[in-house]
Amino acid sequence: MSHVDDGALHAYLDGEVSPVERTQLEAHVAECGACRTRLDEARALIARAGGLLGLAQPPERTMPPLHQLRRPRLTWRLRVPLAWAASVVLALGLGYYLGGESPEQPAPLAAAHQEDAMRSVAEADRLAPATPPPAAAKARAPERRSANQVAARNDAPPPVDSAAARVGVDSTRIAAGVVAIRPNDALREAPPAPVPSAAIVTSRAQADLSEERGRLMATQWQIIRPGPARDLLGADPVGIPGLAVRNIRRSPTGDVVLVEQAVDSATVIQLFQQRMENDRFSLRREASEAARAAAPSAVSRLGAAGAERLARFVGGLRVEIAGPLSTDSLNRLLEQVKPIKP
Amino acid sequence: MPEDLAEIYRSTYRSLVRFLYRKVWDAERAEDLAQEAFARALVHKPENARGWLFVVAANMARDEARKAARERRHLTLLKSEPDATHTEPEDQIDTETRREQVRTALDQLTPRDREALLLWDAGMSYDEIATQTGLARGAIGTTLSRARRRLVEAYDSGSEGGGQHVARG
Repeated sequence: MSHVDDGALHAYLDGEVSPVERTQLEAHVAECGACRTRLDEARALIARAGGLLGLAQPPERTMPPLHQLRRPRLTWRLRVPLAWAASVVLALGLGYYLGGESPEQPAPLAAAHQEDAMRSVAEADRLAPATPPPAAAKARAPERRSANQVAARNDAPPPVDSAAARVGVDSTRIAAGVVAIRPNDALREAPPAPVPSAAIVTSRAQADLSEERGRLMATQWQIIRPGPARDLLGADPVGIPGLAVRNIRRSPTGDVVLVEQAVDSATVIQLFQQRMENDRFSLRREASEAARAAAPSAVSRLGAAGAERLARFVGGLRVEIAGPLSTDSLNRLLEQVKPIKP
Repeated sequence: MPEDLAEIYRSTYRSLVRFLYRKVWDAERAEDLAQEAFARALVHKPENARGWLFVVAANMARDEARKAARERRHLTLLKSEPDATHTEPEDQIDTETRREQVRTALDQLTPRDREALLLWDAGMSYDEIATQTGLARGAIGTTLSRARRRLVEAYDSGSEGGGQHVARG
């Protein structure tokens, strides 16, 4: 047998040669000092390369159960551009109806228009997994808006059930301490407020809508100082270390604190935070029922129109993140939040 | 089929995470991608799930790298991700430095050599690597021997004589 090449030596040491090849190789190496030396060198090289790769190991963490793995991300990746497209539709709709409101237009009709703009977003959102490209949602916008005038009188039933069915709790993230939830969960889990007037329900509903709509309204929330924020939350508000805090705000209902932080000069992320009660599940039910009783239409539209927002629990707080970054980026930012010490 | 996949999940998940980690260099992202690959496998029920998973994972990692390049501007600040280890800061820096050196060394391999090496390290057999990479089965040993040698050489030259010398083949 001629000398053994490096490939064969590595295959031999890797246990990837046939029994015949193994016998031949071993017989040769037993007689050939040069090949024996090379075999030792190959063995050392394999050990060394394996050791180097071992320096680049990820930390070992708990495996989530297989059945809890979330559905493929492809579908909700499509949801992000769609949510943006929907927000454009909403912004246009709100701008059109609120900005262009004329004295002769009766207020209730304007409100109906606004709700329908939300409903069209809800429908666009519901269509998201069916893979229409964002352009399709945009293209549909004018048609939907013109349809609003008719729909406002048709009084189509609000999609209450789909709201309940679409609470997107992501079990994988639960394992990691992070859950993907619908923003309207914030409303459902909120402690029941004193029965609000219709106007308050509306502003609250708008504030808790999707990420984009939330930004529209939440940026108008009252700015507060860290001290009152701590009083509201019963703990220090949280933020992402290293990022400048632009503002701390409180929701009109007084149970949600919003910390705005600048990623760069043009990008601001929002951290909505709320105190979690021990009996939050019963509170959630009560809140949901109370809210439904108080304003069934607002709640149902909220549920249908909700877009995904990431949330996690930090100490006694539930924290949601929103901002013009990808879901993954938001997710990673969210995982870094820590109490902001005054 | 689901039982098979459950078994593959148990035996392959960590390898897949390791494989992905050395492509995306982010532990959580690697886990995320691995889980997504398995979630897709649950839906697609592929014939050869193990091989399929690595193909899908490699594709996702490639897409991920492209996306990461686009988002780098935003993510620069995330580099200093806190990690709950008990190591002293200096040890941590040292570990980080060596990890970066391994990463740099791996980057110097040809894509094919690197892929073969990472697949082998993830527990794939020569047959599986051949299927995965399109290389002839008989060429895997040579490819791996070359990849290992280049990795060690690149690491040693990059670490400026860091004091680790082991016989090289």
